[in-house]
Amino acid sequence: MTAEWVLSVRGLGKVFGPVSDEVIAGTGPEHGSAKYGPTGSVVAAWGVNLDVAAGEALGVIGESGSGKSTVMRCVVGDLEPTVGSVVLRRSDGSTVDIAALDPAARRALRIHDMAIVHQNPVDGLDLRITAGGNVADRLTAAGWRSFGEIRTRAAELLDRTEVPLVRMDDLVRDFSGGMRQRVQLAKALANNPSLVLLDEPTTGLDASVAAGVLDLIRSLLDDLGIAAIVVSHDFSVIEMLTTRCVVMHHGRVVESGLTDQLFEDPHHPYSQRLVSAARA
Amino acid sequence: MNTPAPPVLTVSGLEKHFVLHNVDGRRVEALRGVDLVVRAGEHVALAGSSGAGKSSLLKCIHRTYIPSAGSVILRRSDGTEVELLDLPDHEMAALRGRELGYVSQFLRAQPRRTPLEIVVRAAVQRGMDKAIADEVAADALTRLRLDRGLWDVHASVLSGGERQRVNLAAGTVSPPRLLLLDEPVSALDPANRDAALELIAGLTSGGVAVLSVFHDLDAMERLATRVVVMADGRVVGEGAPSVVLPDLEVAR
Repeated sequence: MTAEWVLSVRGLGKVFGPVSDEVIAGTGPEHGSAKYGPTGSVVAAWGVNLDVAAGEALGVIGESGSGKSTVMRCVVGDLEPTVGSVVLRRSDGSTVDIAALDPAARRALRIHDMAIVHQNPVDGLDLRITAGGNVADRLTAAGWRSFGEIRTRAAELLDRTEVPLVRMDDLVRDFSGGMRQRVQLAKALANNPSLVLLDEPTTGLDASVAAGVLDLIRSLLDDLGIAAIVVSHDFSVIEMLTTRCVVMHHGRVVESGLTDQLFEDPHHPYSQRLVSAARA
Repeated sequence: MNTPAPPVLTVSGLEKHFVLHNVDGRRVEALRGVDLVVRAGEHVALAGSSGAGKSSLLKCIHRTYIPSAGSVILRRSDGTEVELLDLPDHEMAALRGRELGYVSQFLRAQPRRTPLEIVVRAAVQRGMDKAIADEVAADALTRLRLDRGLWDVHASVLSGGERQRVNLAAGTVSPPRLLLLDEPVSALDPANRDAALELIAGLTSGGVAVLSVFHDLDAMERLATRVVVMADGRVVGEGAPSVVLPDLEVAR
């Protein structure tokens, strides 16, 4: 069986400040810090390998400062890695190393091939325009021109993400938190991306609202067969959405495994601490 | 004459210990070298007191626990054998479902899914056609006596016993080749428990290989074709239920 990776991250590293063997060797979990004292360099991520296949969700767990956001920013092309490759397989089967692209090509990739759902809807939506308008934005960026077709497609997407169609022409700033996340999801799915990144998609929502959004995300992943990366510090989110996950700590992946295994039989001291804290 | 079919599951020298890094690096032994085979159409029940290693064994086979040493070989539907200990995570994830299933005491499902959706999705995930899945899911829920009025409510409102029956239905529709059962009827009243045991018995006659943990001897007596007795992380005896179970009864 050969897995068809949609995303393959190899040897990814991002260092802020001077890089040397000493900097790498002097940071990480065993040193209790991502910062190398003598030079002030911060090894935000190092030696990170990730693979995600179509129809699969990979979880990335870690507290703030663990490097998970750095890795995600390298994956979406917001940040240029110091070393390593980030290879995305597009829906036409061609592959591209995001780390080696120029900014214009990265922007195009963000419109057609990958999408992000941010923790804060403000980062993913324009609150001053309507729900339909936000989705339409993404479609026009991809070259859609017919008003009728755009409207039909936007309605279809909003319906799929459980936004009542009577609210399609309401301004997003009048939407509740849960409804804003649904609009973000509709926008993210607009151009049938091969990869979706979900960055703390339910953090900050009320528990009951979060449950509804999580349920929707799970159904979308099941039904659409897209590859997803779910970044969260919340174990219940990772447990519900992912089959495999990695644990990051001080810029390194300290453990990776099947999600149920990581929760029931964590091996690394840090993962054990995280799990027992979450279970308490 | 009949030559016995090659085992679906072959466990050898299986060991599992936990290292608790945050409790003085303490080492806890769970399995100390287990050998076991389960064939198609066989129901092997694990017996022994709590802490004997029964659930640990199931979890090691399912790779919810990573075994420390030994071998777990699964013979797949296409006849090929695979060593589960060496299997990359994504391949193990793919194997789970159609080839290898695990039913625990508890239903883990999205709170807003309905019982029918949960069971249908489980069947579809194991490769069943959606139209047929609707039928078999309805059949399974009927056989497990889940009130029809509950089929389309959110699973979060169900009682413990109702959730357990949904879980069992989801774990056994379009059953995997090897099914691991960990106390799947613990929360059921007698009538519902009886229906659940009936359904599990039907799996074995359908050729599924079953490895189970039940806390009551009655369920073992009714379902098991063979009982394997564990103590202190080892297999200490095995045989037909009629031979092994009376001794266990006395030992209680």
